Amino acid sequence: MMSLLQRVHPQNLRLIALAIVLVLLILFFATQIDNYLSPRMLNRVATSAALFLPIAIGQALVVITRNIDLSVGSLVGFLAFFMGDMLGHYDLGPVLTVVAFLVLGGCFGAVNGTLVSYGRVPSIIVTLGTFAIFRALLIEYSDSRTITTDSMPKWVADFPQLSLFTIGSFDMRMTVALALAAALVFGVALSRLRSARKLYAVGSNPDAAMMAGINSRRVVFIAFVLSGMMAGLGGFMFLVRFGNITVGAGLGYEFKSVSEIVVGGVNIFGGSGSMLGVVLGTVLVDTLENSLLRWQVISEFWRDALLGMLIILAVAADTFMTRSFTRLRAKKDV
Amino acid sequence: MSTPVFELRHISKNFAMTAALSDVSLEVFPGEVHAIVGENGAGKSTLIKIMTGVYQPDSGELFSEGKLVTLNTTKDAQANGVAAIFQEPMVFPDLDVAENIFISHSSMSPVMNWRDLYSKAEKIIKRLGVSLEVKRAAAGLTLAEQQTVEIARALSLNVKVLIMDEPTASLSAHEVERLHAITKALKESGVAVIYISHRLEEIFTIADRVTVLRDGKHISTRPVAQVTQAGMVRDMVGRAVDDFAMKKVANPVGQKILSVKGLGRTSVFTDISFDLHQGEVLCFAGLIGSRRTDIGLAIFGVEPADQGQIEIDGKTCTIKTAQDSMAQGIAYVSEDRRKLGLAMLMPIVINTSLASLQKFTRRLGFVDRRAEQAMAEGYRKQLSIRSPDVAIEVGKLSGGNQQKVMLAKWLETKPRILIFDEPTRGIDVGAKTEVHNIIRELASQGVAIIVISSDLPEILALADRILVMREGRQKAIFDIADADQEKIMAIATAKHEKAA
Amino acid sequence: MRGFFKTWEGLLLVILCVTVIANALLVPEFLTVQNQINLFSLSIEKAIVALIMTYVIISAEIDLSVASVMGLAACVFGTLISHGWDPALSIAVCLVVGAAAGAFNAFWITYVGIPSLVATLAMLIGFRGFARVLLEDRGINGFPDWFNGLARDPLLGPLPFSIVLFIILFIVLGYVLHFTSFGRRVFVIGNNAEMSRYSGVRTARVKTTIYIMSGVISAAAGLLYAARLSSVRGDAAYGFELDIITMALLGGVSIFGGRGSMLGVVFSILIVLNLRNGMSLVNIDGHRQTAVIGVLLIASVLLPNLMERARLARSAHLKAQVK
Repeated sequence: MMSLLQRVHPQNLRLIALAIVLVLLILFFATQIDNYLSPRMLNRVATSAALFLPIAIGQALVVITRNIDLSVGSLVGFLAFFMGDMLGHYDLGPVLTVVAFLVLGGCFGAVNGTLVSYGRVPSIIVTLGTFAIFRALLIEYSDSRTITTDSMPKWVADFPQLSLFTIGSFDMRMTVALALAAALVFGVALSRLRSARKLYAVGSNPDAAMMAGINSRRVVFIAFVLSGMMAGLGGFMFLVRFGNITVGAGLGYEFKSVSEIVVGGVNIFGGSGSMLGVVLGTVLVDTLENSLLRWQVISEFWRDALLGMLIILAVAADTFMTRSFTRLRAKKDV
Repeated sequence: MSTPVFELRHISKNFAMTAALSDVSLEVFPGEVHAIVGENGAGKSTLIKIMTGVYQPDSGELFSEGKLVTLNTTKDAQANGVAAIFQEPMVFPDLDVAENIFISHSSMSPVMNWRDLYSKAEKIIKRLGVSLEVKRAAAGLTLAEQQTVEIARALSLNVKVLIMDEPTASLSAHEVERLHAITKALKESGVAVIYISHRLEEIFTIADRVTVLRDGKHISTRPVAQVTQAGMVRDMVGRAVDDFAMKKVANPVGQKILSVKGLGRTSVFTDISFDLHQGEVLCFAGLIGSRRTDIGLAIFGVEPADQGQIEIDGKTCTIKTAQDSMAQGIAYVSEDRRKLGLAMLMPIVINTSLASLQKFTRRLGFVDRRAEQAMAEGYRKQLSIRSPDVAIEVGKLSGGNQQKVMLAKWLETKPRILIFDEPTRGIDVGAKTEVHNIIRELASQGVAIIVISSDLPEILALADRILVMREGRQKAIFDIADADQEKIMAIATAKHEKAA
Repeated sequence: MRGFFKTWEGLLLVILCVTVIANALLVPEFLTVQNQINLFSLSIEKAIVALIMTYVIISAEIDLSVASVMGLAACVFGTLISHGWDPALSIAVCLVVGAAAGAFNAFWITYVGIPSLVATLAMLIGFRGFARVLLEDRGINGFPDWFNGLARDPLLGPLPFSIVLFIILFIVLGYVLHFTSFGRRVFVIGNNAEMSRYSGVRTARVKTTIYIMSGVISAAAGLLYAARLSSVRGDAAYGFELDIITMALLGGVSIFGGRGSMLGVVFSILIVLNLRNGMSLVNIDGHRQTAVIGVLLIASVLLPNLMERARLARSAHLKAQVK
């Protein structure tokens, strides 16, 4: 056991533990809820996770560099509303719409990035400010209207049902495929691209990064731009999924995304975390939410209470695991 | 001699009103180990920062292999083959060894080829003649291993001039030997090494030439064969300094105050037993990693022991926290000023009163600032802390003066037992003598003192008795009269005992 | 005295005066006592919690769960009242709930070692969840008149209880932070927590005390919120944490801990309230006010940074000219 613990990288150990928790959770709910292990349930969780996954990916990129982006929720809301309104006037078609979301998101992310990297304002302060500003933009722009898919091109309302392929009665929905593709792209980039590895370097030891000639400011700036773009993708998912957008769109998503990545093993102090972890964390949180909604034993209002406890327990377990792991290592060294 | 691989001509650099460097010239040749010595504030760090492109000189010129160069960033310096490693290694704890070595390589392909990376890393590590698993995360490495990673990083960049800033300050004897071997290997492969150290002895073992700086000025550059340690110290401080004499006999001591019996902490150290008397200086010798510090931490209570007992004045005490031990009159002056010793951004006065804040607390928790101020001011004069007043941030003082502030903090608790952990690490010769004098003075006033040190001359200059540790065990305890450097080293470094 | 205006507090005071004068010029009725009291009552709960948030941030931690604790306390109160409990006893129970919530946060942070950003984020979700479990989607009203009056009826001169409480807390918390050994320890822990432990400071105990204080004061503020609205729902005080943290940061409290002052925070609270009030009086919508405060928060750190850089650039330029 000891030698096994020593051989497995703590990061991987964490992912394995997470996967086990997820499986146990699913097995538990399977005994509690009728028809739980059905493709329908899988579809439901997958569509819900498809909305949150891009946002969590962007948040993870920022957190890996030892920063935080609290503005993503407001950004998702604003972009979804703004683009929804635009689509009412100009039909861009799905591809151009997604591109527009990404570009707009990237621009807003660049505002955050500029203030953090070049204005040297701590990210928690900048994004706390833009959290309020982006939300105010949404309220200002919406003029207390609510927009629905009725005013938009028909493909918007149909998009969530669009399938890439079908296995049995499980549909690989387009939205899910998009989200997974984003995770895959960033996952591969983070482990394979030299330039992406700099995110870890900057988050792991900013002083050493400077000494090693890494342009930390640019790296952090890019992380924020990417986070904005991913919030844009999240905005698109929001638009097609709900098709009914109010001034409250995306409220609280900033905290939810931070929770998901922390559960997924991204270190809140930067330097470590993987896309696989982010996917697992997001799926775990969404599985829990969707399952509690259907669990008859307790009221649906228990959802957040349990979610809060889950997050804290996940992190506590993580802390204990890392600590005993380090202790094992230390014992070996003595 | 051949052309210098790197040359500084008439370099000057000013900060605000003070001149950090004035008109310093220096030539470095390939394949030489060039030592630079000087007290703190002599301009060594500024010199390094100019050579590595962190600072730009106000005047003067830099030449790399005979060509005039300007180094605006660390990248420029790297491009000219100049790299530096520091006392506190600059590694990325979350990345593995191989990636740490190659992180700043612009020549590597944009797509990571992990297999290639690992094999290249292994090759470089092998060239240094050490063994290090390249897939291990840097977070788990010892200080010496992290340093090796940094040297490997420099090597991988085809470094021509490698600057080592106090590389051995925190290394154990074994590790120092290994580092010296690495340095020799570098030198033989034609790299010029600039070696900065406060440990003057090692300069004679390793350096070819030695340059002395004082107050930002170049004093001398001579082949090491032509200098003596005394001459070097004279150049550094500008006057003759007595080498601290070895203590020949133990001081007469008072009554027993502390008695440690079978003390241990699981998987850290075991079975430590000794007595300590008033007015006695007991030194803990041993290699780094021999768990000397952990005994200090256990007696002080921040990392409590789980076996054995601690008796004070003949009574068994439970010591689980720092408050417990402080109530018994125990104080611990940490080896790590920055992390465990001082609040760097806070003024001297607040740092000084921190451990005895209760004394200055009046009704309703009110802190009597006037009394506090007077106390801190008193220590500033008594310990000659060089600072205009006690409202100055501690972080702005030199290492030696920071050490004195830390000392003042603990003296104000009026300790009966005072534990010093590496009391003179990283401070200059002058301040070192002052600290030693303070320790002797305290002992003569009847304070019982434990000194944990890696510096053997320091141990021999201070100790009445010496306890030698190895691998978490107490290997010997003897009187100063029976001690010499060779004996201590022999006990501390005896061959690794195979675990059963 | 000239030194004072170069400090952060001095700058805030200048901004505050400018805001008040501008408001008074724009709207004649601005400076009436009643308007000032109204304006203060409107955000009094946030202002009260901002005082204790100052402690939390100076000790280099954060408490994101304050608004959820406010909501939880208000919902517990509503539930107890609807079950016919005595209001005074219910208030006591709510304060105990607040203390327990703070202690719960402190347990994970100081004993388990979870970063406070994560632990209190989890409880931002968790405590809010418990509040929702209690009331589901019901709203509760029918509180006693004296309770509803706490935030409205004059108690001391024209001041209602909520403002009196704020002033008392400001004096007490300001005194403790700046003049007592406890306050000194808060600052030192914020500077270097591990060093403090090595100097015999009971860091875990100090932090636990701060979090419990934060819980109790948040609970009290939550009750005042319920009193002001004369009703409570599961989403009471939702999203207040960001406004509260903004008030503290704008007051010059360093997000990295170890630096800040109670006076600065009170100035920043007054600035935020006056700005909002002034803007309301000239018919600027609430969300635009929020945006202005967001800009102010960023500017409060950005401008000093830019000024510092300009100063450095100028001195470098001068030096070059001398040469």
